[in-house]
Amino acid sequence: MSVANEVAIRPAGSNGNGAATANGIAAGPRVTVSESVGQLERDRLRMMMLIRRFEEKTYQEYTKPGQKIGGFCHLYSGQEAIAVGTAALFDKSRDYLITGYRCHGASLAMGMPPRAAMAEMFGKATGCSKGKGGSMHLFDVKVGNLGGHGIVGGQLPLGLGTAFAQWYKKTGGVTFCFMGDGAINQGTFNEALNMASLMKVPCIYVVENNGVAMGTQVERSSAEKDLALRAAGFAMPHYHVDGNDVDTVIAEFGKAVELARKGGGPSYIVADTYRFRGHSMSDAMKYRTREEAEKAKTRDPISLYEMRLLEKKLITQELIEQISEEVAEAVNEAVRQADEDPHPALEDRFNDALAEKYPYQPK
Amino acid sequence: MPTMQLREALRAAMTEEMERDENVFVMGEEVAQYNGAYKVTEGMLDRFGPRRIFDTPISESGFAGLGVGSAMVGLRPIIEFMSWSFTLVCLDQIVNNAANVRYMSGGQLKVPIVFRGGNGIAHQLGATHSHRMESIYARIPGLVVVCPSTPADAKGLLKSSIRCDDPVIFLESEKMLNDIGDVPADTEFTLPLGVANVERTGSDVTVISYGRPLQRVVRSAVDALVKEHGIDVELIDLRTLRPLDLPTILASIRKTHRCVIIDEDWGYCGMGSGILYKIQKPAFDDLDAPIEYVHSDEIPVPFNHFLEEAMMPSVDRIVTAVKEVCYR
Repeated sequence: MSVANEVAIRPAGSNGNGAATANGIAAGPRVTVSESVGQLERDRLRMMMLIRRFEEKTYQEYTKPGQKIGGFCHLYSGQEAIAVGTAALFDKSRDYLITGYRCHGASLAMGMPPRAAMAEMFGKATGCSKGKGGSMHLFDVKVGNLGGHGIVGGQLPLGLGTAFAQWYKKTGGVTFCFMGDGAINQGTFNEALNMASLMKVPCIYVVENNGVAMGTQVERSSAEKDLALRAAGFAMPHYHVDGNDVDTVIAEFGKAVELARKGGGPSYIVADTYRFRGHSMSDAMKYRTREEAEKAKTRDPISLYEMRLLEKKLITQELIEQISEEVAEAVNEAVRQADEDPHPALEDRFNDALAEKYPYQPK
Repeated sequence: MPTMQLREALRAAMTEEMERDENVFVMGEEVAQYNGAYKVTEGMLDRFGPRRIFDTPISESGFAGLGVGSAMVGLRPIIEFMSWSFTLVCLDQIVNNAANVRYMSGGQLKVPIVFRGGNGIAHQLGATHSHRMESIYARIPGLVVVCPSTPADAKGLLKSSIRCDDPVIFLESEKMLNDIGDVPADTEFTLPLGVANVERTGSDVTVISYGRPLQRVVRSAVDALVKEHGIDVELIDLRTLRPLDLPTILASIRKTHRCVIIDEDWGYCGMGSGILYKIQKPAFDDLDAPIEYVHSDEIPVPFNHFLEEAMMPSVDRIVTAVKEVCYR
């Protein structure tokens, strides 16, 4: 690393819509970390911070008077390392991600502009699903994001199917199929994991184990307390990872990706984490103690990663603060734009139900 | 034109489409090594190999969802259900996933999949295996529901269903697989989806039915009405239950001024009720009598042969209903 390479780091600078932020090089503080070394790591931190900020803003928008976000809304705060770690391994040209209703974090991590996500929650025409999906159903198919799915466990057979297609077409791609710890008690869990292993398809089943299915703790919902063992009968690798450590997520998920890409079949990973917010917006979290919540904060994935990057001198406190301001600005801008965006035309409600025109006569 | 069984017509449709398009594949319980629970897929494993036709565990949610997921990313699955009754355990995959993902994604996805298998009452199978699922699926936006009544229709409609970019619910009957008929050999023979077939033209009354009830009793009843009662029946085979071919139905009623709908569903919220709802208002001024609906008794399907027969529409019930709307 030459001295000449030590420059002020231009804020990765995107508000997620591709527009540069107002904060350019000139305005940014001079720091003494390299532009090239650690850029990936800083981008990962930035994305985790963006997701956190986005979710906290979503909370505000949902709860303030004149609520603009309708329906159910489930926040990702606290689980960011899993989505961002997955994105680090994800090949948008051939991989797929499919998840449950807690889908904001994964969608942003896969590159969905915050405006498209926020506009969808506002029900706007510029939303990723044109206002027809809402908070639980964010889709960004062109990058392989096959959606948030509202029915617990309903997406597990779909992930089996997208992985089957990757096997069938020999693309070398893999499917990340996320679920919460509640989903493992659905029948689809047994059916999908058994078939995935039987057929050796490249599917990586990830349990985002935040310890509680809505308000029912794992201890009260799973006879087997070790959730990794719940997949012991499917003849596939099954293990826990620290879901709050993005580096660990990348390393451990990476093993499953490697296995799947070379035809070794599926894996099942329990990423242990914690959600800082309630199940949904109406949840007062009376099932949690203050001590538990305080303890969890010491394992905040963003703080952990900040400390690691500081120790490795890949970032400075000033730069962290700068990124924090930038993501806040990006999220505010997304809300402002989404707010101004139009609702779908009423006639548009009839579009997108079917792909063909009827009567349908094949060509 | 070759003569073949309806099961062979279905097999021909699948075989031709698999040869035409590498992305078409078949899966389901016992479809491959066992050659099909009802031998519809007999010989296809030998022809196409285990990549393109394979057996699944008894996991309807698992394999229905596998199909939907694979269709979302470009494959064209044909899923055989041993019985449509079994889809009660995987409704979520069909209703929430196959039918909804296109809409919920704002049109980013399409789901070109065919779910097919035997539907309805198939003789002494008891209440759990005798469900007529058409009214469950035909009310779901995002689905297409097809129901053939002859071997030729089975081939033409199945080929169209496989080529269609929307999820198709294809309702066969175990009791029709042995039916014999002339079937075009042309590999480009297809029939349109969403278009009913006026099977017999007539001027006195419009009789609407489809699939198994049409084959089991409606055609015989129409014969009796024409020959024994001198009633000139116009018989419409719907072929597609969703979307409903309303123009063909209304044009017929405009001519006959009378209408009888026949199915084997339960009456309340049944398939015929839905059809009735669609036609009663636009046809109101053309009708000379209330529309009649002949359906099964509203009880679980009994096992006993005589009780089962008694619960379903019969030639007598149909003749009586038609005479009633004709004030004869």
